[in-house]
Order: sequence, then C-alpha cells, then structure tokens
Amino acid sequence: MNVLLNDMAGEEKLNQFIARIEAGEKIEADDWMPEEYRGTLIKLISMHGISEIMGALPEKEWVPKAPTLNRKLGIMAKVQDEMGHGQLLLRVAEDLLKPYSKKRDDLMQDLFKGDLKFHNVFHMEAKSWGDAGLIGWLVDGAAIISQTNMLGASYGPYARALQRICAEEVFHAQHGEAIIMALAEGTEEQRKLVQDSINYWWESLLLFFGPPSKNEVGTSKQDITIKYRIRTSTNEQLRQAFFSKYVKRILSLGFSIPDESLRFDKESETWIYQQPDWGKLKVFARNEGPRSQDRLSLRRNSYEKNKWVREALAPKVI
Amino acid sequence: METRQGNYFEEFEVFSRKTQSSPVQYHFSLLAPNEDIAIMMAQENFMRREAVDDIWVVKRRNIRKMTAEEKKTLQRIDNKDYRTTKGYGYLKKKWRKYEQGMLDEKEIMSWAGGVKNEE
Repeated sequence: MNVLLNDMAGEEKLNQFIARIEAGEKIEADDWMPEEYRGTLIKLISMHGISEIMGALPEKEWVPKAPTLNRKLGIMAKVQDEMGHGQLLLRVAEDLLKPYSKKRDDLMQDLFKGDLKFHNVFHMEAKSWGDAGLIGWLVDGAAIISQTNMLGASYGPYARALQRICAEEVFHAQHGEAIIMALAEGTEEQRKLVQDSINYWWESLLLFFGPPSKNEVGTSKQDITIKYRIRTSTNEQLRQAFFSKYVKRILSLGFSIPDESLRFDKESETWIYQQPDWGKLKVFARNEGPRSQDRLSLRRNSYEKNKWVREALAPKVI
Repeated sequence: METRQGNYFEEFEVFSRKTQSSPVQYHFSLLAPNEDIAIMMAQENFMRREAVDDIWVVKRRNIRKMTAEEKKTLQRIDNKDYRTTKGYGYLKKKWRKYEQGMLDEKEIMSWAGGVKNEE
C-alpha cells in the first residue's frame, strides 16, 4: 500500500514537473526533478564544461605563435574566456551532482579515466594559423548554433550560463573571422592555409552536431533533451542551420568545400551532403583521436602540478 | 588529499553593481577557498568586459532562499489597481476638463534636478 502511495506521489510530482516546464517555468537546482532529467543534464553540462576547458588547449598552442601582438592578445582573451566558460558550467554540473556527493575533482578524475568525454573537434590537431582562425570562425560558429538553441532551456542555471557564454562566443566567432578574412585577402600561400584548414575540419564540423538518429552510433540523447525542453531542435536541424549560415560565406570568399555532392534542395528545403564517417565519433569517445592523449596528458599534468596551489589556498583546519 | 578541496573550497554567489546608482545584480556562483580569492575570481570570471563599480561575494550557505512551496505565495491576483497608478488613470481625463496636465509618474520623477518656475 505504501509503495503504491509513493509511486502515486512520484507520478504526481512528475506530472507537475512536466506541467511546469511546459508552461515555460525554469527549474532550479534545489527543485525536485526526475532522475532522467538530472542525469541528462549532468551528462550534457559536464561534457560541455570539460569541452570548454579541453577546447582551450588547441588554441593556447597558438598564443606564442600568433603573428602579431594584437592577434596574440586576441587569442589569449579567447583562451581565458573558454576557461571561464568551463568554470561556469562546472559550477552548474556540481550543483546537479550534489545528491551523488560528487564534486569537481570527481569530474576531473572521470575525464582522466576516460569516463567523461569531450567534444570531437577538440581531439583534432591545430596545425596552422589557418586552423587557429578556422576554429574561431567555424567551430565556434557551430557551437553558437547548438548553444543558442538551448538559451531557453528549462533548467534555469544552464540557461543563465549560456546567456553569458553565447554573448562571449560572438566575440570569438568575430575574432576567428578576422583571422580568416586577413588570410583570405592575403597571398596565395595564405589562401591555401585557409583552404587546407577547411578541408581538414569539414568532417569534424559535421560530426560536431551529433548523428541524425541513434541508428548511426547506437545512442542519442536528442529525444530526451527535446522532451524536457532543454533544447528545441534535432541534431540534423542544427547541422542544416550551420549549412544555411556558413556555406555561402565560405564560398563567397572563393574557397571550396570538400564535398562535391553538397547542395541545397529547393523542393525539400534541405541541404544534401556527404555523410561523415559516424564511426569516428566512437573513436573520439574512446580518446583515440589524433591529439586525444596529448591533450589529456597536458590537462592531467597541469592538474597534478598545480595541486599544491589548491592545497595552499585551502589549508587543512587543525 | 583531493577531498580537502571538496571540504574547504566553498560556494560563493557573486553580485555586482554597474554604476553607483544601479541596483546590485546577481551574476553566478563560483568555488573559492576564501572571500578574498572569491572577489578576485569574480572579477576575472564575470567582469572581463562589462563596466563595474562594485562586486559583492556572499557564501551560499549564508543566503536564505525561498523554497518551491514558499514561491507559490508570490503569485499575485490582478485585483490591486488601488495600489498602483493604473487605478487612478482616469484622473488624466478629469484634469483635462480643468485644462490641467496630470502630475503622473514621469512628471513627478522629472523633478529630481529641481522644478522650473512657471506660472
């Protein structure tokens, strides 16, 4: 009887919760939420937060090699922003993890063990200054498309973090555009740098939005995130939005896209494109991408080397 | 050793004021070992671009927030016109009859810098 009553109370709570999010209300950290919602948010936000931090690594490689002082200042500011975004998002994840008694250090250890993934794009190499520009322009451009889609997220703390993050991402995208524009209007050699970067990053950009359904890699959280009003569009809709915003811009600068089949089909109003190798997402998830292990070692070493600072700042109470 | 961080780094809520006359605004939370570091981190984390006149940090455990149940008491019924200028809007028309303008909120708040003499 008691069990039955508890179940009914649980079901009523769930119905109230669904009614709240459907009415556009925001859920806060201390509010009751279904386990599935909490779990989905933890997975999404801890991956987003850790990706911001891991994403600063390919770019920071270009701080000492930036061609002018102004570019150096610009890319340093961007790297600092990315670490700041990581801090914001890890706070949001930590508050969600409270019922499991997990903290920031647990998230770091999960990353080192390979249990917590980071976005596919940050497993790639940033080989040239063209790549540094392209990351700002198109990788941040893709991130802006997927993050603005969650600005109205039903989870208040995430929506508020995204407001701040998206505003800064606009600066990042323009910083990247400025680098690309300078190279695009430069010598043949500089233009080749950009074209090589587009060729190298194109598949990663398509993979970035995730598979269209769970058929490609076996799992997909997109239905759950839409059900709980964390985002509004599907992976495929976001990828299509990326094509709509960026294909004409890339072509207008006289560059090509490494996909001869890419075209806009007027009848269905969709972009037709060569599917990327979805299996690569699994390779990145296993941390077996071109730079996965280097970046993880860098993060691990820095975490270990700076341990004394964290301890000195928070001395043990005797 | 790492549990130390868990035990001794605390959650702070960050607030700031854009100018001396703006209201204090909430930003976000951060983890810091003490108030002084929390202020520095708040400045680095949240004030990299925007104008700021003052920053406050408050330990989260010192903030008493409303519970979900208490928040329900915040809902208002739309029947309190007598509390707002909306309930007295009809006076505008009345004053027009006497060839006078209404001393509405906009007019009254404009007296802040002194009132110009007029007949």
